[in-house]
Amino acid sequence: MSNDIVIEIQGITKRFAGHTAVKKLSMNVPRGSIYGLLGPNGAGKTTTIRMIMNIIVPDEGRISLFGIPGTGRDLSQHIGYLPEERGLYRKMKVLDLVVFLAEVKGVPRREAKRQAKSWLERLGLADWMQKRVNDLSKGMQQKVQFISTVLHAPELLILDEPFSGFDPVNTQLMKDVVVELARGGATVLFSTHIMEQAEKLCDSVCIIALGQKVLDGPMTEVKRQHGGRHVILAVDDGGVELQRILADRSLVEKADDYRKYAEVELAPNADPQRLLEEIVRSGARVSRFEIAEPTLNKIFVDLVGPEAATARAEEDWGDA
Amino acid sequence: MRKIWVVIRREFIEKVRNKWFIISTMLGPLLMASFVVLPILLAEKGASERRIAVLDVGTDNFAGRLTDVLNGPVPVDATLMHVDLVDLEAVADSLTAAVGTKELDGYLIISDAAIDDGEVEYRGSNVSSPADMQVLEQVVRQAVLAERLDRAGVDPLVVAQAQGGMRMRTTNIRGGELTDESGATTFVLAYGVWMLLYMSILLYGVQVMGAVVEEKTSRVIEVLVSSLRPFQLLAGKVVGVGAVGLFQLLIWGVSAWVLFQKRDAVLGLLGIEATGSQGFSLPGISLAAVAIVLVYFLLGYFLYAAMFAAVAAMSNSEAEARQAQTPVVMLLVIPSVLMLGILQQPDGSMAVALSLIPFCSPIAMPVRWAAATVPAGEMVASVAILAVTLWLVIWIAARIYRVGILMHGKRPTPKELIRWVKAA
Repeated sequence: MSNDIVIEIQGITKRFAGHTAVKKLSMNVPRGSIYGLLGPNGAGKTTTIRMIMNIIVPDEGRISLFGIPGTGRDLSQHIGYLPEERGLYRKMKVLDLVVFLAEVKGVPRREAKRQAKSWLERLGLADWMQKRVNDLSKGMQQKVQFISTVLHAPELLILDEPFSGFDPVNTQLMKDVVVELARGGATVLFSTHIMEQAEKLCDSVCIIALGQKVLDGPMTEVKRQHGGRHVILAVDDGGVELQRILADRSLVEKADDYRKYAEVELAPNADPQRLLEEIVRSGARVSRFEIAEPTLNKIFVDLVGPEAATARAEEDWGDA
Repeated sequence: MRKIWVVIRREFIEKVRNKWFIISTMLGPLLMASFVVLPILLAEKGASERRIAVLDVGTDNFAGRLTDVLNGPVPVDATLMHVDLVDLEAVADSLTAAVGTKELDGYLIISDAAIDDGEVEYRGSNVSSPADMQVLEQVVRQAVLAERLDRAGVDPLVVAQAQGGMRMRTTNIRGGELTDESGATTFVLAYGVWMLLYMSILLYGVQVMGAVVEEKTSRVIEVLVSSLRPFQLLAGKVVGVGAVGLFQLLIWGVSAWVLFQKRDAVLGLLGIEATGSQGFSLPGISLAAVAIVLVYFLLGYFLYAAMFAAVAAMSNSEAEARQAQTPVVMLLVIPSVLMLGILQQPDGSMAVALSLIPFCSPIAMPVRWAAATVPAGEMVASVAILAVTLWLVIWIAARIYRVGILMHGKRPTPKELIRWVKAA
């Protein structure tokens, strides 16, 4: 069990009354990475995260955090958890609430107070510390919620659909803080069904659908394996040589040739680097050679299928 | 343990700071003060004279003699009116109108039938007052009796002597020793114990329910259970609210004690002449009484708080919880409904049974104890049964709570509940 794996999940299964929410799921979240748990609604993302947090117990399988098995709750001092179902004590004063939520995680009271004040000031809520949560705007409440997730400088951030339900300003703010914490060495696991965000943020991803893993790995790896087969090519003077290269079936599967411009789909296992080499050797002057990466969204839809990618009716556990 | 403490402290501080706590805490002593003052005020009001007319349709002036008695030391101001039988209805009608305009409280119709057949009629606006009617009936009965004896030739002096009052003094024997409690004091003590336990167990139990529902509906629960075990959260919540309850009871207890000590001063402030002997004596509240009430309050409160928490965990909203709580409240109402039965026969089989049945015993046993001597064995058995039940209920409630707090949507069926409890 390597300590470089912060979250280690081995074959977890969770069944509810009517259906299996998560089935034999395994994944490893490396230390210091931003890891995306991706999947359509109802794929089992929240159930997986709840099992990581030890809120619910898997029927089968094992989960280790920081190399220690099944202890999400006892390590709460090191984990910042932002659930999908978010809420605060509405009648409490803001500062009291933030301090309470930190204390519950095991942060000493004095330290919790100091950190709470500093974070509230940082996010522009200094004047609202003694106000009741009820008196805050929705956006401010979201900030308070987020502060209680990151206040104790957690080594591991677990964010369930962090970008849904927050307003754009707060989303940006949160992203900045998350990136900052990740730069500082924190590991981030977040779930989303919005691929554009995952694409920009994640080092590694795990895509699940209907409770099962479809694929996982570092983002570059994923893109290379599931795409990276398209090359956009522009030459100053496309001659016969170029036509010959594009006709080479060991290199090119399909080419949309416009004489000076071509969109090329590489043959299986063909290295784009070799294609470039061949073209350069042919004497053509290359003005553009771009390996067009497929979007994560395209990979996702290709793998999961459009029917699974669309939202499935949420079951009684509301597990997304 | 530290985390439980954090939950307890939050619960306590937030509840005590709440304006409802402050209001109800202040209202308590006010209510108690009114319990002291009101009976005396009422007694004074009761002493205010009733104005009645005595309609004499008889032939031998019995009504006249009755009127004299009524105008004696009795709080009645009686006016005698002689009426012919033929005019009776007309006069009665006008008097009825007078009662309507509150010039008169009522009128008594006395005919010869009063002595011959014992028939007297009173019409008035105060017939629903048992105190007024008791006084009036007693005076009329004595007058009729005296009149009949007089006619039979009995010496009026003998009659007067025969009518001399008689009073029975009651004193409670507890544990084979005479106490200085009268029957009334014992009743008041038992009644007070019942009120205190019923109200506090219900009030604070429902508060636990409200707190759990609030966490569930505001969705703060998910953050909480990511750092706390559900049992830590439940324990902290129940103990926190219980501490608020004890704190409030302490405030009330101290202020009640002070009020009773300074009773004369309080009454003096309100301009009422305190007549020390008239009020009932404060029952001697022994250490044992405090201990028993406290033990049963705590056991009963924990028992019901756990059930209320489970009910709340099953519900999705305040309204749903209020509906679902009915069976739990009914359990508490049973001993209350049967309380008079317990008081009438504190050693009867019903009282004994109720003080052993765990869901009733937190109220039934202290009430029984206040009313009579309870064998030590029964007391031990009652506490033991209650403690075991408490342990069992907490075990089940914690399991329902653990699953329920994260459930949203439809309420669970009994079958599902059993599955929740079974789930490891």
